[in-house]
Parts: sequence; C-alpha cells; structure tokens
Amino acid sequence: MILSGLFFRAIQMCTPLLLGSLGEVLVERTGVMNMAIEGIFLLGAWAGFTGAYLSGSLLIGFVCAMLTGVLTGALYGWITVYLKQHQIVTGVALNILAAGLGIYLYRVLFGVPLLPLTVESLKPFAVPVLSDLPFIGPVLFRQNVLTYIAFLAMPAGWWLLFRTRTGLILRSTGANPEAVDAAGINVERVQFGAVLVSSALNGLAGAFYSIGYLGLFSNDMIGGRGWIAFALCFLGNWNPLGALLGALIFGIADAAAITLQTSGFSLVPNEFLIALPYILTIVATVLRTQFNVPASLGTPYIKESK
Amino acid sequence: MSAPGTKKTASGTIRTLVGERDNSLWTALFPLWSVLLGLAAGGLLMLLLDHNPLKIYGDLVSYAFRDIYNIADIFAKATPLILTGLAFAFAFRASLFNIGAQGQFYLGAVAAAACALAFPQLPSIVLLPLCALAAAVAGSLWGGFAGFCKARFNANEFLVSMMSTYVAVAVLDFLVRGPLREAKGEYPQTDVLAESAWIPSVIPGTRFHWGFFLALAVALIAWIILWKTTLGFRIRAVGRNRRAARFAGMNEQRIFLAVFLISGAFAGLAGFMEVNGVQRMVVQGFNPLLGSEGIGIAILGNAHPVGVVLSALLFGALKVGGILVTQTSTIPSSIIAILEGFVMLFVVLSYWLQHRIAAARARRRASEGGDSR
Repeated sequence: MILSGLFFRAIQMCTPLLLGSLGEVLVERTGVMNMAIEGIFLLGAWAGFTGAYLSGSLLIGFVCAMLTGVLTGALYGWITVYLKQHQIVTGVALNILAAGLGIYLYRVLFGVPLLPLTVESLKPFAVPVLSDLPFIGPVLFRQNVLTYIAFLAMPAGWWLLFRTRTGLILRSTGANPEAVDAAGINVERVQFGAVLVSSALNGLAGAFYSIGYLGLFSNDMIGGRGWIAFALCFLGNWNPLGALLGALIFGIADAAAITLQTSGFSLVPNEFLIALPYILTIVATVLRTQFNVPASLGTPYIKESK
Repeated sequence: MSAPGTKKTASGTIRTLVGERDNSLWTALFPLWSVLLGLAAGGLLMLLLDHNPLKIYGDLVSYAFRDIYNIADIFAKATPLILTGLAFAFAFRASLFNIGAQGQFYLGAVAAAACALAFPQLPSIVLLPLCALAAAVAGSLWGGFAGFCKARFNANEFLVSMMSTYVAVAVLDFLVRGPLREAKGEYPQTDVLAESAWIPSVIPGTRFHWGFFLALAVALIAWIILWKTTLGFRIRAVGRNRRAARFAGMNEQRIFLAVFLISGAFAGLAGFMEVNGVQRMVVQGFNPLLGSEGIGIAILGNAHPVGVVLSALLFGALKVGGILVTQTSTIPSSIIAILEGFVMLFVVLSYWLQHRIAAARARRRASEGGDSR
C-alpha cells in the first residue's frame, strides 16, 4: 500500500520534469540552451492558475500557461538567437524578472486574499481495464491526463528527433549550423522555433505545479525544479528516452522524500530529504563523463558576411 | 572583412565584457541608459496598480536620501552586494559561472555566527577577524567544491553551483533548527551574537558599518589579482580563449579551482557582513536574493571591480528607497526584483547595441581607409 502510494506519487512528480526536459532536449539539439526555464516554469504556474481561476476551466489555464511560455520564450529567443547575446546572462535576467513578476501580477489581479485562492486541480482519469490491474493499475493508470501526455511525449519526442526529417534538421543545426545554412535552411528560424516549442512545454510543466497538482499559486512553488529539468536534459545525454529514465529516478527520490516527511520518520533530518534531489543532480552531473554534446551548444550562429 | 568588431564566432556579450571596449563617452553612458529604461519598464507595471510611477520614483529617491540614517543604510545594503557581485564577476572573467553565490553566502553566514557564538568571551579585535576568516573559508570551500568538480570531472559548474545553493539552504535550515537554534527554542534562528562580535558602526546609530570598507578592500584585491598578478593574467587568458590558454601551457584545471575558491570566499565574506554587521544573528531564509542580485550587479558593472562597487551602491539605494516605498504604498516588494530584472535585460540589449556601433565604426574606418588610397 505504502509502496504503491510512493510509486504513484513518483510517476505524478515526474510529469513536469518530463515536459521540461523534453523541451530542453529539443532546443539544445539545435545548439541553444533555454536558460529561462526556471522563470518560464514559474510564469507558467502563474498563468495556468490565473487562467483557470478566472475562466473556471483548467484547459484554458493550461493554454494560458503555454502562451505565456511562448511569449517569454520569444523574448529570450529574440535576444539570444537573433541578437546573439549571452544565453546564461539573458536567462538569469529573465529568471529574476519572472521571480518578481509572478507574485506581482497575482497581487495586481487578486489583491492580498486572506486565504490562498484555490482552483480544483486536475482530476485523475482511470484508464478502463488497465486501472484494475493489481499494483500497476493504481500506480500507472489512475494518473491525470497531463501525466499520460507527458509519458507519451517522450517516445514521441525520440521518434521526432531521430526518425523524421524535422529531427534531422534540428540535430544538424546543433551539430553543424554551417552545413544546415548551406543546405538553404534558415538556422536562426530553426533555433527560434525550437526555443518557442521548448518554452511552451516549460509553461505547461509549470502549470502542472499550480493547477495539475496543488490547485493554488505560490511564488516559491517551483523552487529549482526548472533547473532539475534542465539538468535531466544533459544527464539524459540529449535524448528524450535518457531524460525519461532520469526523470523517473528523480520522481522516486522526490516522492520518497515527501512520503518519509509525512510518515514522521526521523532517522535523518527533514532538510536532508528536501536537499536529496539536488544532491542527486550534483552526483549525477559529476559521474556523467561521456557526453554527446551538440557541437555548437551555447555559441550563437553568426552567418559569415560575404 | 577582418575588422575586430565583425569577427565571426564571437559571442557579443562575452566579447564586450571580457574583450577590449570602446572607450568613448557614449559607451560609458550605456549602463545609465539601461538603468533608466529598466526603471521605465517597471514604471509601466506600477500603472497596473493605479500608481503614478513618477511619483513612486520621486518618493523612492526622496526616501533613500531623506536623512542620514537612510543614506547610511544605502552603504549598509551595498556592502554584501559588492561581495556577491564580485563573486560572480571574478568567475565571469574566466568565463566560468558561479551561480551559487547565495549558497556560499549562507555557509559564510553560518560559519561567522557559529564562530561568534562559540567564542563570545574573546575581545573584538580577535573575534571579528576570526569570524571573517571562518566566513571566507566556509564560502571558499563551498564554492571550491563546484570548481573541484569542474576541474576533476569536467562537470558543468553552472549546474553544480546552482544545485549546491539549494543544498546550502537545507544546511542552513537544519543548523538553525537544530544545533545552532536559539536558547529559547522558539523560532528557527540563532541567539543574538555577543556584542564583541558586532562590526562597529561608521556613523553611530545607523547600520553603516566598517565592513563596507572591507568590501572596498576586497574589490581592490580582486582588481589586483585580476590585472596585476600572473594568476590573474591566466584567469583572463582562460576566460578569453580556453583552447589558446591550454596551448600556451596553462593548467586550466588549477585555474578553475582557484577561481571558485576565491569567488566563494568573496560570497562567504558577504555572510560575515550581514551576520556580524547588520543582523547580529542568523535567521532562516534571510536575504534570499543576494546571490542573484550579485549577478545583476556584476553584469551592470561590466564585471569590473569598480563597476561592481558603483552598481552595488545603485542597487543599495534602490533597495533602501524601494523597501520604504513598498511599506508606505500598496506596491508589493516584488517590484524590486522586477526592476532588477528589467535593468539586467536592458544591459544585455545595450551590449548588442554597443557591438553594433563598434562594428559599424570598424566598417566605416575600413572603407575610409580604402578611399584614401
């Protein structure tokens, strides 16, 4: 019982990490890092909540989150892809801005409510037949729709990246932008498009925290999860399936921490459990030695003039 | 075309920050324009709350410079910002990213407090340097860990230092909840430090303490290391072109470690400043934005110690006035982070503009040269 609860939560906690890391894999394959990921998670959480609260529809909330992601991504992409400015610096600026903006706009719209405003979060959807299987059923097939989408998106992302022409263009842009350019494909447009797609996924991932899971918005609800999704991208070797594996490990660690905290287990201090996912990221970052880094990752592509 | 401004693989920001700069008066005014545009963008958001931004900014300035106490507070607020700004700027000169100044700051704060609480009977003249040393060493080791991972395992220093901040927050929470908790055991915070561990004030009755001058000295040290020592030459060489530095026989691993040890020590000292100079205790989750503000300050200050000090003073004034404005109006305090974010964005955009101007000038010079022949 405890075990199935733990795995259920692990699968659930994976959802935003999957969406975020898939977006990051796609964009980094084109040679651009989306460093605004943490800020877009937060703005997505805000927009998702606001949209759902004002319209009464979770679907509209998720759409708002993705649109907000795209808008933020457009700003980030414009500065880094078209103006060729530094990705880490631009990302840091946007993340600080987002940290202030989320709570500010919440305040503009809702004032200072005595109790936090809530919406009813995404309900679980039991898959017919499969959800009645022992153990596997309650763990895997009584999740919410977004979780199913996220898990299906990973193999779909793999297929897109490695089995389609679009994927070939994406990968070539990161590996050899000059060649892509010579083939008559607009490198900047590919990169900018990938930034937008990844930002939409990040917005959706952020909304999972606010309306897919808790049903409220708070300014510290992301707390570095965007960066964990960012880390999963390269721990998974820029492969959606690798990121999926990593996300599962993190989901289990996260769920174990929550389960142990609520069960009053006191052999190790609470803070250690809270820090566990971050420690795990550091360990994984250090242990990973063989990388398949896209060759031009982080360097803006500047077309040779004349 | 081989004019310097139009060289192919160059990344605009890095080049402008680390490489040669155009020294005309024009470019000196760019940071100023960025600040003004950032404030203007933030002002638009104030309109959403039915506030007149001009009045808010007027209030902000008049609060910040209202009396000697507030003016002194600007220096008090700037003190830790100088240090976290230097921490980012120093690593940035080596093209390394120390995003974890917040964690190094927390570890420094805890070390300084632990030291002061352990030896309350020592006289100030011994205790204060001891606390400062403890803070610097703690920050240095915590930051050095990221440098070590980079040097030894080629791990991504950005991620390691970023993640280590979250671990540092947990360490601080654990310590103030457990071993270092106040005697009363009521709140997650330490006891108030003995008076011998307080950094004396420059102006009595204000929070402006002598730590400010220590921060200035650290800025001077950073400048000396970077521009007057062999180590600094190597740091800048690695920052400008890692491969060329390697071919020149420089041991980049050693540079990575050294940079993070020094950068971490700067951020750790910020902890000493805040604990011994202002708070006189450690409270859970205090000053949570110091690290990211340091990044903004370093970028605005062009990653140069002088620029960092000036930017930190500006951010300090923004904070003093901003906090009073948010206390006396319905503007939420998150406006300060928003203003900082906007200013940083405009700084980044100004690098692009600077780059464009330099490139256009180089082109013009090249074509003029062709004409006169």
